[in-house]
Amino acid sequence: MWKITLKSLLAHKLRLALTAIAIVLGVTFVSGTYILTDTIHNTFTSLFSTVYRGFDFQVRGVAQFSGPGTAVRNPIPESILPKIRKVPGVEDAAGSVVGYAQFVSHGGKAIANGGAPTIGASLHSKTLSYLHIVEGRAPTTSHGVVMDAGTAKKYHFKVGQQVRVLLFGPPRTFTITGIARFGDTANLAGATMAAFDTTTAQKVLGEVGKFNAIYVKVAPGAGKLAIQRDIARVLPRGVDVVTRQAVVNEAISSINQPLSFLSTTLLIFAFIALFVGAFTILNTFSVVVGQRTRELALLRVVGASRRQVFRSVLVEAAILGLVSSLIGLGLGVLTAMGIEALLRGFGISIPSGSPVLAARTVIMALVLGVGVTILAAISPARRAVRIPPVAAISDSHVVDVSLRRRFTWGASIAIAGAAVLGIGLSNHAVQLVGLGALGVFIGVAMLLPAVASPLSSAIGRPLARTLGVAGRLGRANSMRSPRRTAQTASALMIGLAVVSAFAVIGASISKSVTSVADNAVSADLIVYGKMSSPMSPGFSTTVPRVVAALPGVTATNTIYGHTPMSGQFKFRHSLETLTGVSARHLAGTIRLHMTAGDSRALASGTMLIDATVAKSDHLSVGDTVPVRFALTGRSTVRIGGVYKPNPIVGSYLVSDSYYLPHFQNPLPSGVLLRTSGGSAVEREVQHALAPYPNVQVQNRAQLEHSQLAQIDKLLGLVYALLALAVIIALIGIVNTLVLSVFERTREIGLLRAVGMKRRQVRIMIRAESVILSIFGAVVGIIIGTGLGVALASSLGSAGITDISVPASSMVVFIILSAVLGLLAATWPARRAAKLDVLAAIAAE
Amino acid sequence: MPMESVNGSPAAHALDLHKAYGTGQAVVNALDGISVTFEQGRFTAVMGPSGSGKSTLMHCMAGLDRPTSGRSFVGGVDVGSLNDTELTRLRRDRVGFVFQSFNLVPTLTAGENITLPLDLAGTKVDKGWFDHLAGQLGIAGWLTHNPSELSGGQQQRVACARALISRPELVFADEPTGNLDSIASAEILSFLRTSVKDLGQSIVMVTHDPRGAAYADRVVFLADGKVVGEMEQPTADSVLERIRLLAG
Repeated sequence: MWKITLKSLLAHKLRLALTAIAIVLGVTFVSGTYILTDTIHNTFTSLFSTVYRGFDFQVRGVAQFSGPGTAVRNPIPESILPKIRKVPGVEDAAGSVVGYAQFVSHGGKAIANGGAPTIGASLHSKTLSYLHIVEGRAPTTSHGVVMDAGTAKKYHFKVGQQVRVLLFGPPRTFTITGIARFGDTANLAGATMAAFDTTTAQKVLGEVGKFNAIYVKVAPGAGKLAIQRDIARVLPRGVDVVTRQAVVNEAISSINQPLSFLSTTLLIFAFIALFVGAFTILNTFSVVVGQRTRELALLRVVGASRRQVFRSVLVEAAILGLVSSLIGLGLGVLTAMGIEALLRGFGISIPSGSPVLAARTVIMALVLGVGVTILAAISPARRAVRIPPVAAISDSHVVDVSLRRRFTWGASIAIAGAAVLGIGLSNHAVQLVGLGALGVFIGVAMLLPAVASPLSSAIGRPLARTLGVAGRLGRANSMRSPRRTAQTASALMIGLAVVSAFAVIGASISKSVTSVADNAVSADLIVYGKMSSPMSPGFSTTVPRVVAALPGVTATNTIYGHTPMSGQFKFRHSLETLTGVSARHLAGTIRLHMTAGDSRALASGTMLIDATVAKSDHLSVGDTVPVRFALTGRSTVRIGGVYKPNPIVGSYLVSDSYYLPHFQNPLPSGVLLRTSGGSAVEREVQHALAPYPNVQVQNRAQLEHSQLAQIDKLLGLVYALLALAVIIALIGIVNTLVLSVFERTREIGLLRAVGMKRRQVRIMIRAESVILSIFGAVVGIIIGTGLGVALASSLGSAGITDISVPASSMVVFIILSAVLGLLAATWPARRAAKLDVLAAIAAE
Repeated sequence: MPMESVNGSPAAHALDLHKAYGTGQAVVNALDGISVTFEQGRFTAVMGPSGSGKSTLMHCMAGLDRPTSGRSFVGGVDVGSLNDTELTRLRRDRVGFVFQSFNLVPTLTAGENITLPLDLAGTKVDKGWFDHLAGQLGIAGWLTHNPSELSGGQQQRVACARALISRPELVFADEPTGNLDSIASAEILSFLRTSVKDLGQSIVMVTHDPRGAAYADRVVFLADGKVVGEMEQPTADSVLERIRLLAG
């Protein structure tokens, strides 16, 4: 039986290749994702090991509270440094200051590479520093700066040139005294680095008299454990000493969260692709079993048991899955680089390194590839088993299985899926949502044969009318086998369902954003930080003063906090982000829709919270809540009011007079302006802010537009990731068409014999393909729209306040599907048209 | 090794077989109460016009199809009482088949097709027996060829070898010469005849060709799903005569 399985596989290389592609692509995606994230992880790990070397201990403030990947620590007084130096066994110790500093290019643009940090640092003792000056020297005055080699090369800076640097305070111009590398590399994952002498660094990056950390190197041969204990003994409360390894491990774990987010996101799309691939495999195996009916029956006649036939189909699937998975794994390496390029194209920069192929990746690729293929082949294998031996002799024998059972099952699975989906949505359980959607797709796919004939008939009517007899035959062919039509269309249906679900969500977000700009802000102009790099918690404090002084600006309101790196505080037991605004100009700049209390309560030192928080935490006006700040410690705050969610101010709002004393170096994250004039004042503001290339000025229309553009960009990325699933679905159509052309060789030969032209044969096949595609697209769009509406309406708390179904996009999807169907038919149609009439008729 | 007679029972026999296709008004009685016995070590031909039930009788007796009522036996085993696994084993080990349309597995070579029943059973090929069959049938030079590379006559000789490779108690041949020219037909029929004479093989052959029937020891005539007559030691002329008589 092995021999038959192998021979059968090899005898149909074409069928094999087409089916394999579906699995190869899915596995490629999965393994590519793993390889990509492993590679990034590996790159960062070696980067951190490179950067954090040369010292044995780090002395630093105790973590006040740790946020997602980053801990909030207070700076430590520099008076600790001499004490540490006196500890016996300590060879060297140096204070280090780290903060925000961003170079401005020759062209006046703020330099940043994707989302990578723009770091400012102090240049301390040569032995302890990870910076190696490769050109020039360290700065000796407060006017000198050392630039990282990557930035110098990319933006053409040389030693001796002037460079503007954006800082917490007003921007300053420095002279480049040297170019440095990070350890051995020129590039630290896209980060830029401006290094100053320690005193200057304290002044422009942090606080005079304070360090962020002290690095300690012990004398060779000294007992490290004892020295660590001795150092700890001289440290004041709130400061501790940790080993180099601990620092490296912390740094590595800080990238794990964003990385696992990336891999989860990509894997979701990979699984969608695999799921669609499973339908393609199922379909191919069904057709193949149908075509091999005679052969399988013959095997039964000469003594093959049902189990042998079943196993033969599954083994065929397993071999196919295995080979495809291995190919997919190989392509995964290439794809990892591809995805990297794709993400970079969408502005998400990730460092590159040599691809990492972990054992987990190989196992997952093989398990998924082989598993999906075998699972998809089970149903066709069961059908193969039901072929009676007589089918070998009597031609007319058709294995028909009751569709009623299939429909009962399909309906049950679809309903159960919808129920699970609903539960998942109301409980925000992503896994349940996924599982439910899976159920709906499988259930609908099982029900699809019921509507296949009437729908194909309706879709094909215009084709039949315009394309003559070829069109009519194409339409008839698509109606001939409802099960096959449905199976072929299923794959495309799922692909388009997901696409349209995202289209609905995207359109709903867009619509919600539009209403945000109208409902959340009443200011005429909005100033905000251009790059939300993790190291820039805001922009210079001089910005609000500059714009407030302009004639024509009647009122300003400076927003503090509300970025991932600033405003962190503990609200009851959870780490949240606080926003501070001026209570005086609140009314003229921000639209707060109060559901309880009064926004004027801000002025009296109370906190306003949004309705979502009030509801989930069961809070109402007058309640007193415990809070904690890194700088000032524990405190309580009274709730003064509740407002409808407002993306401009976030969920926790206080006045600036409350906010400022609680944070180290608080920076503005936005300025809202009321102006007396139109575009003239706007130009005035633009001009005044020219020295600050890290901020952007927009009026309300522009704000709305730029946010829409951002959503479109994200949606574009999602579509690109989903494209693979659609391509797999199309391969399924190609596959089915090729197989049915093969199956209908005689019939096509007959049509040609009685006078059908080659061109008409091509039209016939294409018409069938287009009908199949539109059929899948229409059903997919209907289901996807339902799914999208359900998803979007459950995301109300996440800011989706309006549901919108983009009808024009849906029409485009259908037209696109028809075009893709036409493309899919190209090759099968050519094959059919090429058939030799005599040979075709003679074919058995 | 010739087939020994098992307790002296016939190679196969049927008792009051009925087989109806379709339902209601459209019902067709392909077999209408047939009782027939095929003896051990004899070559029996089953003849009759199209639709007389020849092939259906063979399918039901070989366990390829289930009769509507009645019983059929292969070597004393009640075919109707077997489940699918037992039927599979019966077909694999105790019965051989030769069909009109050759029915070779296209992806396997001629040699692989011959040993297929043994491969399926997982038993070893008796090399001597294999070589004997291949030699007798004159296909030794074609064993590595695919069926598509063989002529109809060659394909049918491969099918004959496959039917005999497992030394079955009984071979069913369904119009084995229906697709062959007269020379190829004569070769196949001679081979079947020889295997009965020399090896004591039991063969039941469905045919509509009086010249083919002349190779048999005995002819059973069917019409409208019933046995309408039989003849011992037939010749082409006597069979033709009888057919004319039955038709008249």
